[in-house]
Amino acid sequence: MRDVAIIGVGMIPFGRRDEDTLLDMLAYASLNALDDAGMGDKGVDAVYVANMGAGILQHQTSVASALVDRLSLLPAAADAVENGPASGASAIKNGLLAVASGYYDTVLVAGGEKMREVVGWKATDFVATMTHPEVEYPYGITLPGMAGMFTRLYMEKYGLTRDQLIAVAIKNQKMGTLNPYAHVKMIITREGIVESPDAAVNNPVAADPLHFYDMCPVSDGAAAVILCPLEKAQEFTQNVPVVIAGFGQATDTHTLQERDDPTNLKAVTLASEQAFNMAGLKPKDVDVAELHDAFTILEIAESEHAGFFKKGEGGIAAENGETSLKGKIPINVSGGLKARGHPVGATGVAQVVEIVFQLRHQLDEARQVKDAQVGFTLNFGGFGNNVVAFVLRRSE
Amino acid sequence: MKTELEITAYQCKACGRVHYPYHDRCLTCKNREFEVIKPEGDAHLLAYTQIFNLPWGFDVRFLVHGVVEFSNGVKAMGQIHVESLEDIKTGMTLQPGWEPIRIVSGEAIYGLVLKP
Repeated sequence: MRDVAIIGVGMIPFGRRDEDTLLDMLAYASLNALDDAGMGDKGVDAVYVANMGAGILQHQTSVASALVDRLSLLPAAADAVENGPASGASAIKNGLLAVASGYYDTVLVAGGEKMREVVGWKATDFVATMTHPEVEYPYGITLPGMAGMFTRLYMEKYGLTRDQLIAVAIKNQKMGTLNPYAHVKMIITREGIVESPDAAVNNPVAADPLHFYDMCPVSDGAAAVILCPLEKAQEFTQNVPVVIAGFGQATDTHTLQERDDPTNLKAVTLASEQAFNMAGLKPKDVDVAELHDAFTILEIAESEHAGFFKKGEGGIAAENGETSLKGKIPINVSGGLKARGHPVGATGVAQVVEIVFQLRHQLDEARQVKDAQVGFTLNFGGFGNNVVAFVLRRSE
Repeated sequence: MKTELEITAYQCKACGRVHYPYHDRCLTCKNREFEVIKPEGDAHLLAYTQIFNLPWGFDVRFLVHGVVEFSNGVKAMGQIHVESLEDIKTGMTLQPGWEPIRIVSGEAIYGLVLKP
């Protein structure tokens, strides 16, 4: 197996992008990545496109075939990858394996989603199609609803507090104001969302015990990366290569009700352990992490299940600032899904793009983790029933 | 109004694990033979939430969802019909019924409804 490097990254600002089609967004992010890799006028061997909902939301299928045509990358091999909100990391995993095996030398992975052109109930329904079609979906359960049940169980078992959830929301929205790609650029305060007389209006219950500001926004957006063998990286670009040192992927039961302990995110633990073992590293070696905080509870629970904190201590750590930019383990200093946004097919790719920015040391001081050498990403599909993790390392 | 719970669960003939929904192989031992069972006994509330952002197909202000475990080990999600979350708490016993849970194209879809 060959070492695989990320030699180019591209992203477009997430948000509401009424002027762009899904293909526009995928093309813009891909061109940014090709240019960043020094491949602006070259082709690639293969393209993987991560997308969850074009067939439902845009009534469009075969988006990978459409993208290679749009970008004049013909006759590159092209596949679409759908793995719910973990589609992005799954697509990168497929690209990684293709390059590591020696079958392809250059691979473009693009992830994108256009969710804001439908009304709220339709977007909510679209995401809820991940639930079990017979024993969950008919009841009207949503992913926020799953997160609400999970949060209450976590509170009962581990003593998680609302203040700990609020700490995550405030941190991530503050960091989002510093990220030019973020959807939400608004600082929030305890007074505004908890203490003031207006807090009940500003921050109503959304999925009890979770409130509005515990949720990520519904976003449009796209991100892309270019992969090649590490040994060939310098043929394309002088960018510092970032190596995918390890990856892991694991699954869990489709329904929460069939888990022996619904607070135990087994797939997160397994995927993380696989990634760390492959990289020969441990959670303590990670300088910066991007976790899948579609809900504030997930940043806390994932930080524990990935091995950064013991069970029950992730919330305390968040409240104590240990996950802030200058903390013990900076988490989601991009703003995370909470502020950058969550165009579901794009998210796993955007997490990796963010870590590449960090490991190249090319961010502003306000967001750069000093001298970052190792990064970690975790992309969470369904309600933890399909999880993909990467350990990324700066290669001098 | 229907009264029987139209829930079919599956108990592994090798290890006894109860499955709902159906799996082709046991989640514990991978055995392929199951005994069909129905939920029996009290329904104890394991987890619950109240959601206000509803998907397509619901003309109500909010929904309350819960997962219950029946005395014979069958676990299932249902809608909880209460006015307020203050009426329920984890571990309490709920009364199960089989009632309309949503309307699709004018037709009532039935499912598990739980009440204190």
